[in-house]
Amino acid sequence: MTTSVLRDPTAEIAALKRQRLNPPTDLDGKVVALMDIGKMRGDEFIDRLEQLFEERGIATKRYKKPTNTRTAPSEMIQQIVRETDVVVVALSDCGSCTSCSTHDLNDLDQLGIPGVSILTDEFREAFSGQCEKIGFDGASIFTPHPMQNKTTEELHEFADSVMEEILTKITHTNLN
Amino acid sequence: MTGNHVIGELLLFLKQDCETCQLVRPVVGDLVKKGVAIQVYVQDDPTYFKDLTPLDDTSLKASFEWNIESTPTLIQTSGNGHSVRIEGWDKSGWRKIFQRKSLGSTLPDFKPGCGSKSREPGVYEHLVARYGDPGIAARKVELHKWEDEMETCFERGWTDGLPVTPPTDARIWKMLQGAGRNPDEIIGKVPPNLAPITVEKVAINAVLAGCKPAYFPVVLTALEAALDPIFTMHGLLCTTCFSSPIVIVNGPITKSIGMNWGMNALGQGNRANATIGRALQLIIRNVGGGIPGDLDRSTLGGPGKLTFCFAEDETDPTWEPLSVSRGFVEGENTVTLFQGDGIQGFIDQRSQTPEQITKSLASALLAVGHPKLAEFTNALLVLSPEHYEIYKREGWDRRKITNELHKEMIRPGSDLVQGANGIGEGIDKSRANEMVNKFWPEGLLIVRAGGQAGLFSAICAGWTGGRFRHESIPVTKKIRL
Repeated sequence: MTTSVLRDPTAEIAALKRQRLNPPTDLDGKVVALMDIGKMRGDEFIDRLEQLFEERGIATKRYKKPTNTRTAPSEMIQQIVRETDVVVVALSDCGSCTSCSTHDLNDLDQLGIPGVSILTDEFREAFSGQCEKIGFDGASIFTPHPMQNKTTEELHEFADSVMEEILTKITHTNLN
Repeated sequence: MTGNHVIGELLLFLKQDCETCQLVRPVVGDLVKKGVAIQVYVQDDPTYFKDLTPLDDTSLKASFEWNIESTPTLIQTSGNGHSVRIEGWDKSGWRKIFQRKSLGSTLPDFKPGCGSKSREPGVYEHLVARYGDPGIAARKVELHKWEDEMETCFERGWTDGLPVTPPTDARIWKMLQGAGRNPDEIIGKVPPNLAPITVEKVAINAVLAGCKPAYFPVVLTALEAALDPIFTMHGLLCTTCFSSPIVIVNGPITKSIGMNWGMNALGQGNRANATIGRALQLIIRNVGGGIPGDLDRSTLGGPGKLTFCFAEDETDPTWEPLSVSRGFVEGENTVTLFQGDGIQGFIDQRSQTPEQITKSLASALLAVGHPKLAEFTNALLVLSPEHYEIYKREGWDRRKITNELHKEMIRPGSDLVQGANGIGEGIDKSRANEMVNKFWPEGLLIVRAGGQAGLFSAICAGWTGGRFRHESIPVTKKIRL
């Protein structure tokens, strides 16, 4: 299979990448999906995020992909679309997780659920590369890499340190 | 192309699937045996010509670069770009080039060749894209190895919700050949973003829509009509109403590109009808930025926003075509754009006289927009052959039908004012003592189309922008061929 080239049918006044959906202006009455991509230790990080949202009186629902090495099953995507308003996808610290979770973020965005993906620092380029390829201007937040060899407490500290940024990115436009 | 070739070099393009090439094979074989330097290129099966030590040109690269039109083609290169070229078998010509008086003595004097494989339908545009310069300026979107072209078009937001044809260089180049216009030419600014659009961008969107190159002049004209300020495409796109441009094509081009004006003319199934209308809509989406829910604020939209395009039936000489009624010469190709909604079916299987069918049609036309509104929208009446037949029998032509319909739609303002008959909607109360027309005198367009059987016509309500009589009107443009 060879690489093919198409030509842009648009006025080329916007970036080639599709802008992500505008998130809600606040989270009053909204439900935040906490989507565990199924990678080891991600659940510990998300446990803490769940607590942090709860402390702020923001409703959450948790979902867990069967494997980080594939995109989310469509039933799960549809369930998130039915049940929630915005999504936090976490925590990608490998190549396949990054590629698949970026597709998940894009798929949810196209079905009306804006969100943000949390990845480790090492996958900054992989995330932007995948976004480039699928033409999606996705939002991301980065935590330190590596995370697999950290204690639960340290993972919770990672979560604490990005919480404000998460809130900002799921309530403000154009802050990718 | 003379770059890598020595002056006076001999090149010969052959294909096995060509009788003339087979005929000259032994002649060339003798020359090669005698040590004559001749470079043979074979377009299909080099093994068939193996004694000529040919180059494999199954990629057609050399055939393209040497602009080969037929096989065999014998070329003697020269330094000034004017190489000698003989197509087919020409005994005296070949003898002159090879300077051998008895060359091919058993062969006829002449035998024409076959078409070059590089010129077969569907091939040349790919060679232009691969080996030439298609001259396309639009931004490239490079797909990675496993990316699906069709899905990419969806992902990038280039479609109306249905699959589109991926805009490759070969397809765009071929589309551009359909009109012979300069790809850089700017047609106008497309609302709502008022982005300038070139002929090339129109071609890209025509590819997306599934147009054939032969439709391209019609697409360009439809766009020119849409961008005429008096058509008010900007308002029509952003409106909360249902409307969109309805494209009506007149003239002999409708037949030559295979448009439908007969059975199911307003429906699906005809490529030209479907894709010309769709191309205009995709341009508005992709170039203008008219995205539903974004700046396209239509409350309900309508199926016409995917595509709504058809031809008028001009096969009955008693019927004056729409284009002629709008000031164009009979036989001129035109596009008329009407700001309208989907169809309201009109059923009348009982009227027998022109007077009866006029009253009947008028009663249905009065419902356009709202029965109590007047001079608020225009309307398009698509008159079916059987309904027209009732008029034709009594010699009623377009003008008479139009005038009589208008007369039947004059009503006392007292019945129509806001609040009358317990209905809030209606005309301004100040008009209670007037006799009120339903439409502006020029606001009822009639087109003849449809299958031969069926006492069914169609009414397309016009857009509410039509209430400003001189600010938003249908537009007709001549198609440049």
